[in-house]
Amino acid sequence: MGQVGRPAERAVEQLDGQVHARYPSLRGILRDGGPVLSGTFPVEHEGTVLDRFVIEGYFPYGLGLPPVILETNGRIPRTVDRHVFPNGTICVEVPELTLLRGDYSLVSFLEGPVHNYFLGQSLVESGQPWPFGEWSHGKLGLLEAYAEILGVADEASIRRYLDFLSRQGLKGHWQCPCGSGKRLRHCHRQRLGSLRNDVPAPLARLALRRLNTARP
Amino acid sequence: MTIAEYLAAVLQSQELPEDSPEWKLLIARRKEIEGALRRGFSESSPTIRYGGSRAKGTLIGESYDLDIACYFEHADTAPGESLEEIYNNVAAVLDKDYALVRKTSALRIRDRQLIDFHIDVVPGRFTDGSRSDCFLHQNGGDKERLKTNLDIHIAHVRDSGVLPAIRLLKLWKVRKGLHIRQFPYELLAIDLLKGRHSKGVAEQLIHVWTEICDTERAPLVQDPANPTGNDLSPVLQQCWGELRAQARTTLTQVANSGWEAVFGKVGADADRASGLAAAVVAVSRPTKPWAR
Repeated sequence: MGQVGRPAERAVEQLDGQVHARYPSLRGILRDGGPVLSGTFPVEHEGTVLDRFVIEGYFPYGLGLPPVILETNGRIPRTVDRHVFPNGTICVEVPELTLLRGDYSLVSFLEGPVHNYFLGQSLVESGQPWPFGEWSHGKLGLLEAYAEILGVADEASIRRYLDFLSRQGLKGHWQCPCGSGKRLRHCHRQRLGSLRNDVPAPLARLALRRLNTARP
Repeated sequence: MTIAEYLAAVLQSQELPEDSPEWKLLIARRKEIEGALRRGFSESSPTIRYGGSRAKGTLIGESYDLDIACYFEHADTAPGESLEEIYNNVAAVLDKDYALVRKTSALRIRDRQLIDFHIDVVPGRFTDGSRSDCFLHQNGGDKERLKTNLDIHIAHVRDSGVLPAIRLLKLWKVRKGLHIRQFPYELLAIDLLKGRHSKGVAEQLIHVWTEICDTERAPLVQDPANPTGNDLSPVLQQCWGELRAQARTTLTQVANSGWEAVFGKVGADADRASGLAAAVVAVSRPTKPWAR
C-alpha cells in the first residue's frame, strides 16, 4: 500500500464532509494512498429506502469533478446492455451531459444521474424497461445526446457545430456549420452565440475528442 | 406489528439462506480460493479454517464476509521466515488470479473485474504444535504481530446469547457508514449486554446506544483469545466520538419517530414495486444511461 500522507487524509475528510450528511451509508476511505467513496447507495423515495447497491467511487479527475463509480457486488451483470463495463464501472449518462449542468457537486451527481441509474437498474432487474429510456451504445449514443444538445441531427453537422464551439470566438464570415453554404452572419450566428453560453469551448473539445475515440 | 415483531422482520429480511444463489456463489469461490492456497503451498499443507459472520451467527445480507484462515505450522519456514513474509507470500499466490486489497491482517479478495467476493484470507502461523493459537502479521498496527485464536473468537460471539442484537447493531453500523472493525464492535456489544440476555432486543439496543452516549471514552475491550496482549479499546477510541454522535441521533429518532426511522420499512415486494414506480414519477431531472 502506498504511503499515507496528510494530503490524502485531508482528501478523505473532505470527501466525508461532502457526502456523509446526505448519504450516511457512504464514506470516504483511504485506499492505496487516495480517497475512495465506499459503501451502499440507497435508491430512495420520500425517505424510504427501496433498494441498495454496493458501490465504490474513484476520483481520477480530482474531488471537484464527478467520480468514476463501480458496483462492486457483482449484482448487475457486467454487460454494455446493462450499462456496466467489464471492469465494473457504471455508465450513468453521457459525461458531457453531466458537465453541461454545471453543478459538479458530488451530492448533486449522486442524487441525480447516479440515483436515476440505480433506480433504473432496480426496475430492469424486475423485468421493466429503463424508466427514462437509454442512449444507444458507443458513438451512436453520443451522437444522439449531442444532437439533443445542439439541435442538429446528422454527424457531419454535429462535428461542425462542436468544432465551432471549440474555438475561442466566432467570425461572421465563416461558413455556417449547418451546411447551408451561407456565411455565419447570414445564417445561424445567433443560434451559435446562444449555444456558446450553454456549451463552453472546453466541453465542446471534450465532446469532439470523445466522438473521435468512441467505438462505432 | 409490535416493535419486537418489527425487529424480527428486519432480521428476517437480512437472512442469507444457504440455498440462496449468493451463498452458493460464496461457497464456490471459497472452494476455488482454498484450492489456490493448497496448490500454492503444496509443500506446507496449510491448515484452512473458516470464520466470518456465518460461523459467528452474525451474518446480515447487507454486509457479510467469509474468512478463510490459512495457518502454517509453527516450525515451517517454507511459506516465509517471518509473519510478514508469510503474509506477502500468500498475497503473491493469490495475486496471480485475483485483485487483492491488503487489510491490517487479511487479504480481501476480488476478481479481476473488481467484483468483491466477500472473502478475506487471513494468513498466519500457529504459535506451537497444538494448532490452537496463532500469530498474524499486522500492517500498520502498533505491534507487528498479533496473537489470536479463531475458534475462541467464533465461540465467544456465537455463544454470547445476544446474536439478534449484534446483527441489528451491525446493520445499524452499515447503514450509518460507521467505520469500525466488526470484531471489537461485537465484543463491545457483548460486554454492554452482560446480564441483559433476558431483555427484549429493542431494550438491548436502547441500552447499548445509551451506554455509548453516556461514556466519554471507549471502554476497555479485551480480545477473549488474548486477554492480556490485545487491548482493543484504542481501535474503538478512534471512532468513539462518531459512534456516540450516531447513538445519540438514533435514540432521538426512536423516541420521536419510532423504529422505522432507524431500520426503515420492511415492505412486501408489492410495496417496493409501487415505491419504485413513485420514485420514477418524482424524478425532476431524468437522465439516461449510456455505454461507450
